[in-house]
Amino acid sequence: MKEITNKVQAIAAKLFEEGKIDVFLAWEKGELNFKTKSYVARNALDVKNIVFDEYSIYNVSNSLLKFRDSHERIGIAVKGCDSRGIVRLLEDLQIKRDRLYIVGIPCPGMKDPLAAARNHGGFSKKQEEDGLAKKCLDCIQPNPVIYDELVGPEQSPRQQGDRFARVKEIEQMSADERYKFWEDTFSTCIRCYACRQVCVACDCRTCIFDEMKPQWVGRENSSTDNMMYHLVKHSHMAGRCIECGECERVCPVNIPLMLLNRKLIKDVGTLFGGPEAGMQYVEGSKPPLSVYRENDPDSFL
Amino acid sequence: MPDQDHKCTCSEQPLVPTIVEVIDIIDRTPDVKSFFVRNVDGNGVPFQVAPGQCGMVSHLPIGEAMISCTWQEEQEYLEFAIKRVGLLTDELHQIEVGQKIGVRGPYGNGFPVDACKGRDMVFIAGGIGLAPLRSFIKYCFKNRADYGKITILYGSRSKADLCFKEELFELWPQETNTEVFVTIDNAQADWDGHVGFVPSYMEEVNPSSQGAIAVVCGPPIMIKFVLQSLEKMGYNDDQVITTLEMRMKCGIGKCGRCNIGSEFICLDGPVYYLKQLRDLPPEW
Amino acid sequence: MKVLSKAKLEAALNKLSDRNEVFVPMQKGQQSGYFTWKSFENGQDELMLDALNVYQSPKNAVLPQTEKMYSIKSQGVEVNIDQTYEDAHPTIIFGARGCDVKGIIAMDDVFLTRGYEDSFYKARRSGNTIIANACYEPGANCFCNAMEVNSLEPVGADVILRDAGDGYVWEVKSDKGEAVTALIADLLEEKEAKLPEVKPFIQKVDYSGVAEKLKSMFDHPLWDKLSQPCINCGMCTYVCPSCYCFDIQVKMWGEEGYRFRAWDSCMFEEYSREAGGGNPRGASKERFRQRFLHKLEFFKERYGTPLCTGCGRCIIVCPTDINIVRIIDAVKEAEINA
Ligand SMILES: Cc1cc2nc3c(=O)[nH]c(=O)nc-3n(C[C@H](O)[C@H](O)[C@H](O)COP(=O)(O)OP(=O)(O)OC[C@H]3O[C@@H](n4cnc5c(N)ncnc54)[C@H](O)[C@@H]3O)c2cc1C
Ligand code: SF4
Ligand code: SF4
Ligand code: SF4
Ligand code: SF4
Ligand code: SF4
Ligand code: FES
Repeated sequence: MKEITNKVQAIAAKLFEEGKIDVFLAWEKGELNFKTKSYVARNALDVKNIVFDEYSIYNVSNSLLKFRDSHERIGIAVKGCDSRGIVRLLEDLQIKRDRLYIVGIPCPGMKDPLAAARNHGGFSKKQEEDGLAKKCLDCIQPNPVIYDELVGPEQSPRQQGDRFARVKEIEQMSADERYKFWEDTFSTCIRCYACRQVCVACDCRTCIFDEMKPQWVGRENSSTDNMMYHLVKHSHMAGRCIECGECERVCPVNIPLMLLNRKLIKDVGTLFGGPEAGMQYVEGSKPPLSVYRENDPDSFL
Repeated sequence: MPDQDHKCTCSEQPLVPTIVEVIDIIDRTPDVKSFFVRNVDGNGVPFQVAPGQCGMVSHLPIGEAMISCTWQEEQEYLEFAIKRVGLLTDELHQIEVGQKIGVRGPYGNGFPVDACKGRDMVFIAGGIGLAPLRSFIKYCFKNRADYGKITILYGSRSKADLCFKEELFELWPQETNTEVFVTIDNAQADWDGHVGFVPSYMEEVNPSSQGAIAVVCGPPIMIKFVLQSLEKMGYNDDQVITTLEMRMKCGIGKCGRCNIGSEFICLDGPVYYLKQLRDLPPEW
Repeated sequence: MKVLSKAKLEAALNKLSDRNEVFVPMQKGQQSGYFTWKSFENGQDELMLDALNVYQSPKNAVLPQTEKMYSIKSQGVEVNIDQTYEDAHPTIIFGARGCDVKGIIAMDDVFLTRGYEDSFYKARRSGNTIIANACYEPGANCFCNAMEVNSLEPVGADVILRDAGDGYVWEVKSDKGEAVTALIADLLEEKEAKLPEVKPFIQKVDYSGVAEKLKSMFDHPLWDKLSQPCINCGMCTYVCPSCYCFDIQVKMWGEEGYRFRAWDSCMFEEYSREAGGGNPRGASKERFRQRFLHKLEFFKERYGTPLCTGCGRCIIVCPTDINIVRIIDAVKEAEINA
């Protein structure tokens, strides 16, 4: 990965020197081995701080949201999942394609710096495994789907078996069991909204949960309000979630958020067909739930 | 400036409102109404407010909002002039006389009425900003001998948006040694008064800064330009008083959101000398 | 000295739970935090008294994330508040580390001083007893020593526990402490115990002068750089033992309902949004700055102590690796005339 880091640095440096970009978004190292975080390089001198290593898990496409109202030309390094985030932002007209120079990195799979931080922090008695992150074991698209330049050899998907297996199990439960299952699952949510903030597909300017007039979802930390929050958030993600797994990774109480996301991915796939969210960029195209057609399926309503 | 000895005049349960009855409602403009409240037993008011202090007014099933008490008439009533801008204020504009609502307070430091004694007073307000100033203006008239010349400068978007018209055009101009200047933003057919923004009108009127105190309240953008103009006109930072508006929930310095630096505006403010504001982070 | 042997720990927790709601650090399913001993499920949950700390702080015991305030009945023009929900039922926080004790002592300053006493907090706190757990071996992210906390002698604790291997030395510090000690007097033994060796702090943090220096750094360019990765999620404020901001809201079903408060976070955009859509802290950087200035400067100016207690939680959970220790360092190193 040192090699990839060098190449990305060289590309970024060249882009700065040629005056083609104003910022370059990637990752940088923190003070400990496992600390890798998102980074904004602002000039050729900053480029030396850019790294791509086994902990570059953060979905940098999220960082683009801080630039959606400005005019900088942006270079950005992306893994497979990150690139799908860019497709979402392009589809939602949050950023213009011609502002971006995308450096694609086929991803060998990442470790989770948060898990490492927990192991290091001494708050848990059991050490978590330090292998590939769960989201990376479940990855179906390690190779960037959109890029101007590709760095490194293509990777094959790591996801094994049926990624909807658990979803299908839950579908088999009775309605009551299912309700109980989800109620229990969401009862521990502390409503910190990290799952929303880290999500590149959550790109609405005024989020429905911040609306007070009317207030759509109550603020109580109760199972009803928590359920409401998750049902609304996840249904907004239907056809938009790019399966980057960031929400589940950052949740401080380890709520299995991907389960509900996968349920929706499965349903949208069955009902509408077509490529999954962020899998390919066709200028002007929209995800299924962003357009209304007379003949849309409505059996789930 | 945290005031460690703030005298507690509040109840044992500062966050729980007292139920009062709305005894009268007056339309002040198309989107401002005055609400007059009194204790439910018809006797007295729930608390005593000094000019510039506020109350947290709540329509219980909906919510609460911080509102300046624009006037307390002895033990008769508290008056709140409320502009319709959102959830709670929309609902309040629907209620009728006889409705029971909640209030808690009094909150905030209020105007330095004593420190201003003997000075010429210049009141500058825009829009609903006249509501808080009105308590001070009326206090000056009630204690007329204590204050020098009084100049009132007020502006709003249109003629219809002028609050407290009777006082502006009939009552206040008749007070001794008092001048009232009113302006609206844009010309309109039935208006023969001044047209233009408050700051430039103020420079035209040019009330002398000699020994005067200026009290300013209005939308942030107006405050910004008025402060610049006052400086040009020779007012020092300790001759200018303004009131700040931040988002508030508790009103008693607990919930956190209204701070500017280490000041909690609900408790330590909302009234400040410009001189004090200069020491705070520029978030106002 | 009084010693509670570890073999009798569960018996003691049971006994204390007869008359008190006892909050104990535990791993409960996927959650790690303070939960009631009564909810402890043998075989599934794990007691975490011997771990460094847990992710959710014990502030929930005195400032619940959601707290009912009073009932509302509204029929036509009539409204009534029939009931207010001050709750003084006896609670014990069992095994809180010094940083978490300090978090509550800082909240005491907020809720019980400066003119107004918050009746809801006051009630909970009056029923609340703190049994602290002294720290002899600070963890990788601990820096409470730099934030005016003595982890061996936590100020404000009613009892201090000291882990002496097979038992806890039980040191009574206040009348409230005496009262809970009486409840388990028969389980305590009088004997000598060897206290562990005090290990040094790994993090070296120098907070001296930081609050004063920050006074002139509101507009410093360092905030742009430091805040860049932050996604304003609010996780750091919710796990923090001393963040206390709250929102007040109402829940109605037809004519009846109640008003409640719920934790809020200065990291959220809605928190300070004003009429007309303006927001003094609308940008991510402004909210980030508010959090750290509140912790490191404003609170110190107002209450004489920082609002960060050095527990290290936010450092571990932050998804973008924002580290308050590095922020203190950066402030120390910053040049001011920039
Ligand atoms: C010290 C002080 C004195 C005030 N005096 C008066 C007065 O005399 N008359 C008057 O009409 N208004 C006054 N206000 C403003 C008033 O508090 C807000 O207009 C009111 O809270 C809006 O409530 P709402 O529920 O109708 O609006 P919401 O639906 O809650 O919100 C509408 C908009 O107002 C914002 N908002 C909510 N609360 C406040 C607040 N406290 N300050 C600023 N914006 C807010 C919301 O974020 C939103 O953008 C005063 C505010 C303060 C802080
Ligand atoms: S990150 Fe987890 S705890 Fe936070 S709001 Fe999302 S699901 Fe709830
Ligand atoms: S919902 Fe979760 S997995 Fe889906 S795009 Fe958002 S952060 Fe990624
Ligand atoms: S500092 Fe970290 S935990 Fe806190 S809001 Fe920012 S990203 Fe979230
Ligand atoms: S700011 Fe962070 S380190 Fe400080 S007390 Fe809060 S969670 Fe702990
Ligand atoms: S202002 Fe922010 S940092 Fe301070 S207590 Fe509130 S949430 Fe915590
Ligand atoms: S309104 Fe709650 S602290 Fe000022």
